[in-house]
Amino acid sequence: MAFVRVCGLTELEDGTPKRVELDGIPVSVVRTEGEVFAINDICSHANVSLSEGEVEDCSIECWLHGSSFDLRTGKPNGLPATRPVPVYPVQIQGDDVLVSVTQES
Amino acid sequence: MAEALNIPVGSTTAGSIAVAAESTVATRMSAPPSYDVADFAVPHGREEEWRFTPLERLRGLHDGTAVADGLIRTEVYTPAGVTQETVGRDDPRVGRAGVPADRVAAQAYSAFEKASVVSVPKETVLTEPIRINLHGQGGTAFVHQVIELGAFAEAVVVIDHTGDAVVAANVDFLVGDGAKLTVVSVQDWDAKAVHVAQHNALVGRDASFKSIVVTFGGDVVRLHPRVQYAGPGGEAELFGLYFTDKGQHQEHRLLVDHNAPHCKSNAVYKGALQGDDAHAVWIGDVLIRAVAEGTDTYEMNRNLVLTDGARVDSVPNLEIETGEIAGAGHASATGRFDDEQLFYLMSRGIPQVDARRLVIRGFFAELVQQIELPDVEERLLTKIEAELEASI
Repeated sequence: MAFVRVCGLTELEDGTPKRVELDGIPVSVVRTEGEVFAINDICSHANVSLSEGEVEDCSIECWLHGSSFDLRTGKPNGLPATRPVPVYPVQIQGDDVLVSVTQES
Repeated sequence: MAEALNIPVGSTTAGSIAVAAESTVATRMSAPPSYDVADFAVPHGREEEWRFTPLERLRGLHDGTAVADGLIRTEVYTPAGVTQETVGRDDPRVGRAGVPADRVAAQAYSAFEKASVVSVPKETVLTEPIRINLHGQGGTAFVHQVIELGAFAEAVVVIDHTGDAVVAANVDFLVGDGAKLTVVSVQDWDAKAVHVAQHNALVGRDASFKSIVVTFGGDVVRLHPRVQYAGPGGEAELFGLYFTDKGQHQEHRLLVDHNAPHCKSNAVYKGALQGDDAHAVWIGDVLIRAVAEGTDTYEMNRNLVLTDGARVDSVPNLEIETGEIAGAGHASATGRFDDEQLFYLMSRGIPQVDARRLVIRGFFAELVQQIELPDVEERLLTKIEAELEASI
């Protein structure tokens, strides 16, 4: 699994997602509740960027139709989305945030 | 109404222009139809007409990055009396049936080099079908095809798409007064093909137009059959059949623009889906303009979801600007296999596998019968059987 540095830990504001692209895959990196998560940035229901949504209770909400996805598992907690969004493993090395998109965690 | 329709500029009465302009501009998010690709913004995926389409799989057809580097081997079989020509874009028949309604159609119109025109002279009744075989040899191509029937002519045209290609196309059908045209368009592409096409039919006075769209193959297929009437009394039947497999995106967007009085239209699209991320989209738009008194229209979509993981988006729209009509309606249903039908058949001693086949054959039968060409019907049934092998 190739971990790639996406940003510095201090660049991430708690509860504010950051959108990055890794190997052409849009990824939303979220720091919340003392942890950092990486989740595919596109909602599984419609073509909406999740990083534009709000983070609450360790999940990220799609602003267009209101499904929110658990940052740990990618599973939606309600309609209209029915399918999970891929989530990716994150490593913290010092001040660097590394994400691997080659394998879903 | 959630979505207003795209109304081409230019109508029959001053009154209807005013009404149309009011009802479209206010609600429609997209640009009006145009032959010029520059009149359309590059879609970002949340526009009403693109929100179901995976833009990242269109290989640049939508954003101007696609380069015409492909080859499509084209064979046209024309019965005696029918002419086939290759013409430039200045030919008056090119683009007369309809205006490109979205960026990819406009891109195809702006980028094609030579158009092919097949014409059936007036009062010629063909006993054999015209066949147009398009076999993609890889790469990207922009195509413009015109099929023209003179007054009181009758013809059947089969357009067969096979091979591998990325194609953006406009297909024009000019159906003369009192003429009768049946078109069968088969999308039997290889797994990686991308096919985006607009079909424009201009149906003459008392003419009839029947379109049967059959979509099996391809990675992304997005077809946009549109009908307008050149005079009263025209009739349009739009049939479609699709079998969407794992990972495939198949989208059919219909528009029947009732812009003349006493015309009829009927649309029936049916699809079966199986496998993860199989995605079918059906949009059925019917517009009854203020002048179109005596209109009779109905549209229907049915989807059979055979496995988990498949998705259907089905959106019928009806916009009515006059109450003086004979009938207007629409229906859409998406569901899984009916266990009771299976149980009934099995209770009569039919094994489950055969019972499933029977139910699916029955589901598609009314559309397959519409084709009335034994060889195409046979190929279709074989294809459906082969597809079912995967899920049964």
